[in-house]
Amino acid sequence: MSEPFHRTATGIAVDLPDELRRWLLGEAEAAGADVVTIGDPVHHRLLGPIDLSADHDDPLIELQRQFAVEGPLERFVATAHATLLSEDEAEEWIRAFQLMLAAAAARLAVQTDDDVAALKEEAAAELTTLQAGISLLIDALDA
Amino acid sequence: MDGIDTGLSGSTDTLQRIDSPWDVVLWNDPVSLISLVVRVLRKVFGYDKAKAERLTMEVHNDGKSVVWTGEKEKATAYAVALHGYALHATIQPSA
Repeated sequence: MSEPFHRTATGIAVDLPDELRRWLLGEAEAAGADVVTIGDPVHHRLLGPIDLSADHDDPLIELQRQFAVEGPLERFVATAHATLLSEDEAEEWIRAFQLMLAAAAARLAVQTDDDVAALKEEAAAELTTLQAGISLLIDALDA
Repeated sequence: MDGIDTGLSGSTDTLQRIDSPWDVVLWNDPVSLISLVVRVLRKVFGYDKAKAERLTMEVHNDGKSVVWTGEKEKATAYAVALHGYALHATIQPSA
């Protein structure tokens, strides 16, 4: 099998099986839905307060952060079936994969290395698949 | 003469706090790859590879690291940028 991501003269070529693309789309859509659900662990993990000295963050900052999280996920969904990405799109995929990874970890209540070690095989595979995607995309962009 | 209570003492405290430096603290998490954290620190702060790697290893080994110190507005913007990569960052008045 060829590399899932590799640099070409015109961008980053993507060679992913359709089944994997559908799975990634599902992860992105789940992360996007959970992050706007108040009380959901994904919302707390990705949009928790950043100024620990204040009672709550500035509403404008909260809005900026929501855009910073939702934007990459939406742009990934819009390009999920692409076979060639620009450098900017590939960077957005890294951000989206990283957001999906953090969302999955929050859903699985993973907070420590011991939590990761205690995961069942299928749950661990969810995390390692996303980590592999991030690592391979970084390699392709840095090549 | 006794001092006049201007009612501004609280405001002065607030001004001092805004002018004082703030830290951006990056917290460890068990799933983010070291290579990703190094890449993001270089991209967001413009750090060279050696500094980004040193800070990343501080986060990994100590659980957190102060990755930038300066004015509050910039500290907030940096924390927002780190959150855009799902990295857990907070801001706090610098010690």
